[in-house]
Amino acid sequence: MSYIKSYGIALAHFRIEDTILNPKGKKDMMKSVCFSDEDVITLAVEATSTIYHQPSTIDAIFFATTSPVFKNRYHASYLADLLNLPQGILTLDFVNSSRSGTDALLLANVLINSGKYKNILVVASDVHFPSIGKELATPFGHAACANLISSEKGIAEITSAKSFSSSLAEEFSYKGKNIQYDLRFSRDAGFKTNLTSSLKNFVSNPKPYDAVILNSLYARMGGGVFSKAGFEEKQFAKDTLASKLGNTGAVHALLLLINELESEKKNILLVDYTNGTNILEVKNNSTGKTKLFQDELKNFELINSYQDYLLLRKAGNFNSSKYETKEMFSSEMMQEREKDTLQYLKGLKCDKCGTIYYLKSTRCKKCKSDKFSVIQLSKTGTVYTFTSEHYFPSSFPPISILVIDLDGGGRMTVQQTNTMYPERNKIEIGSKVKLVLRKMIEHDAKPNYFWKAIPMMS
Amino acid sequence: MKDIAIIGIGVTKFGELFHQSYDDLVRDAAMQAVKDAQISLDDIGAAWLSTAFPEIGVFKGRSGMDLCEPLSLYNIPVTRVSNFCASGADAIRNAVNALHAGECEVAMALGVEKLRDRQPQDSIVKMMVEYGHPFLQKGFTAAGTFAVYANRMMKEFGVTREDISNVSLKNHYHGSLNEKAFYQKPCSLEEVMKSPMVADPLTVLDSCPTTDGAACVILVRAEDVDKKKHNPIFIKGIGLSVSTGWDLPFFDPNHDFLSFEATRVAAKSAYKQAGITKPIDEIDLIEVHDCFSIVELITYEDLGLCKQGEAKDLIRGKETQLGGKIPVNVSGGLLSCGHPVGATGIRMVVEVSNHLRGNAGERQVKNAKRGLTHNIGGPGAIASVIILEN
Repeated sequence: MSYIKSYGIALAHFRIEDTILNPKGKKDMMKSVCFSDEDVITLAVEATSTIYHQPSTIDAIFFATTSPVFKNRYHASYLADLLNLPQGILTLDFVNSSRSGTDALLLANVLINSGKYKNILVVASDVHFPSIGKELATPFGHAACANLISSEKGIAEITSAKSFSSSLAEEFSYKGKNIQYDLRFSRDAGFKTNLTSSLKNFVSNPKPYDAVILNSLYARMGGGVFSKAGFEEKQFAKDTLASKLGNTGAVHALLLLINELESEKKNILLVDYTNGTNILEVKNNSTGKTKLFQDELKNFELINSYQDYLLLRKAGNFNSSKYETKEMFSSEMMQEREKDTLQYLKGLKCDKCGTIYYLKSTRCKKCKSDKFSVIQLSKTGTVYTFTSEHYFPSSFPPISILVIDLDGGGRMTVQQTNTMYPERNKIEIGSKVKLVLRKMIEHDAKPNYFWKAIPMMS
Repeated sequence: MKDIAIIGIGVTKFGELFHQSYDDLVRDAAMQAVKDAQISLDDIGAAWLSTAFPEIGVFKGRSGMDLCEPLSLYNIPVTRVSNFCASGADAIRNAVNALHAGECEVAMALGVEKLRDRQPQDSIVKMMVEYGHPFLQKGFTAAGTFAVYANRMMKEFGVTREDISNVSLKNHYHGSLNEKAFYQKPCSLEEVMKSPMVADPLTVLDSCPTTDGAACVILVRAEDVDKKKHNPIFIKGIGLSVSTGWDLPFFDPNHDFLSFEATRVAAKSAYKQAGITKPIDEIDLIEVHDCFSIVELITYEDLGLCKQGEAKDLIRGKETQLGGKIPVNVSGGLLSCGHPVGATGIRMVVEVSNHLRGNAGERQVKNAKRGLTHNIGGPGAIASVIILEN
């Protein structure tokens, strides 16, 4: 049997209302939108931050997205390195479909059940920006979800996971071109037929489920199929997330599942349709005490205007009013050789006087001892001093620079992020902050991620 | 230690010297000093060239060679000195040491910088933006690296925005009396505080402009001074300290952002050599490295002119203004003169020498007998202190 041992959620900090995206947009509908230095990688890392597990015990990592940033490079491998997972583990990408989140979950379940794998980290992350003017016509919403699938008992048990493939797709792209078949035909011959067959094949008894999730662009048309299969109206778990986050692509089905787990539903049937149906049966063992996702949903900042959204969307418009775009120096050699410090926040503690250094040194500056022990620095701290740089190029000048005393020792100087509206994000000496991984040089075509700071939620 | 004497001084105008090349600036400052010392160029036995940022200008100043070419001064040892904003003072220190060691009889220390042939944003800001470590300290410009001190000083010692701006106000007033300064216009407190923000709380007028300029001194051992020809100024103490690194100040949990250790160490050494125990009573004028106005305030404390936390009282009491108890930056400082990085330290020594000779004109500090120059380099990592007497 495989279990969801723990999970983590990362929602983009900003939300935009549909009415701002388009005057015809519905009220009380929002989309979750990344800051200019976020992408699928940074959201994925953030989602894993609440997974409490020894990295050394993880023997596979799967990554799912509809909006890949790499080609010819595995996101899962890149992520494994960022998270300091053991080298050489199984890393697989599931890209191209909004079903890929549950695809990854499904394979993780199979591998755990084979007995050859113990702990598989399944991370789905999606950052899709629709073309300008088509924000309401194209589903989007930026979020990530991480699940640790384990052979050890956890908050939920995956009792069954199956997939029923389909030869038909309703909307897809072919060689970069978007294609939509005749909807009457494709929904009948595609969606409804496939859904009916999958339920018939995989669900023998519809009665025990107290939450049935259907994740599909055509979910509204799925009711008839379910009632024919013997389900009742009250069993359905409505998608309450779409109005708060938009459709988060490959992440969406996983978020719906977490949402029902936190709502203390006991027997959950997760049906995920896109060009084929994945059906997972999940038994909830959690006490319902942790409301990680519910809490996270409440924490956001609204984008004021469509113009501001465009600024975010064009991440890489690396201008300040006083400085033209400049290429900055970044080096993969430097990132690789210094990753213990830069990525993993390994510091040095002086064995004699106890001073903790973020930067490597031969001798302690304070007591001159040359004996150090490597220690893991924490990602939370207190602002010791700060400034705002008005002349350093940034998508949203000024850049605030914070000198932070990390909890447990060590000092770092990093940029503050999420500061689209600096006046709402004022930091003072003594403010509590936490470190988040973000793209450092936003307009640089190379991947370069480093720590920035955001205020801690009070 | 035997005294070293400055027998020749020269300084160009500082500013946007579009009509002068790097070589022209070298010639201008060097020939003023040679003429002042009444020597021939060929009397010079060794020279030190201070240029901090050769890559910004015209690829000049990477080696001592660039002093030789404009002067046709060949077949002597010439070394380029590079120690950020303390480069000029370090050139003098090296010349002093060579004279002590007997390497030469007459030494030249010349600082020159050509920064204005490029747009301001192509100069030092560009280095911070485009070069350097891609992650560590990314986002800082020079102003920011000192603004973090300002915010801590304000929190810890009750220093106010007005105190910081009053340094700029004072130095711009002094600069209005200096015909070689870049800015020769006094400004109001409101103008300083309302000028565009660079790095909170420091505004444009709290920040010095980087400019073109050159300065030069000729040095001999005191025993070689020709009393009939020379009007010598004696170097009584010279201290230089590298006390932290480029990144460390911002990653060192023991650093308090209230003081520059380098200044304290360099001053202690220079005071010991000169026999100074109560600097505020024993020194008549000081040139401080006011690259940003907050640095001048911190330096009052680091030089021991007052106790830590009391710098604000000196500026509030106008004690450091011309006519006050201890005038600081009567030249106008870096804030008015401008900052041709490699030349600044030597420009300060020329300034103090003029006062000690009684030649400083309108801004002359009366009865000046002893002066001090101070530079800080990098992110407060390097400092030099020189004590001069007549």
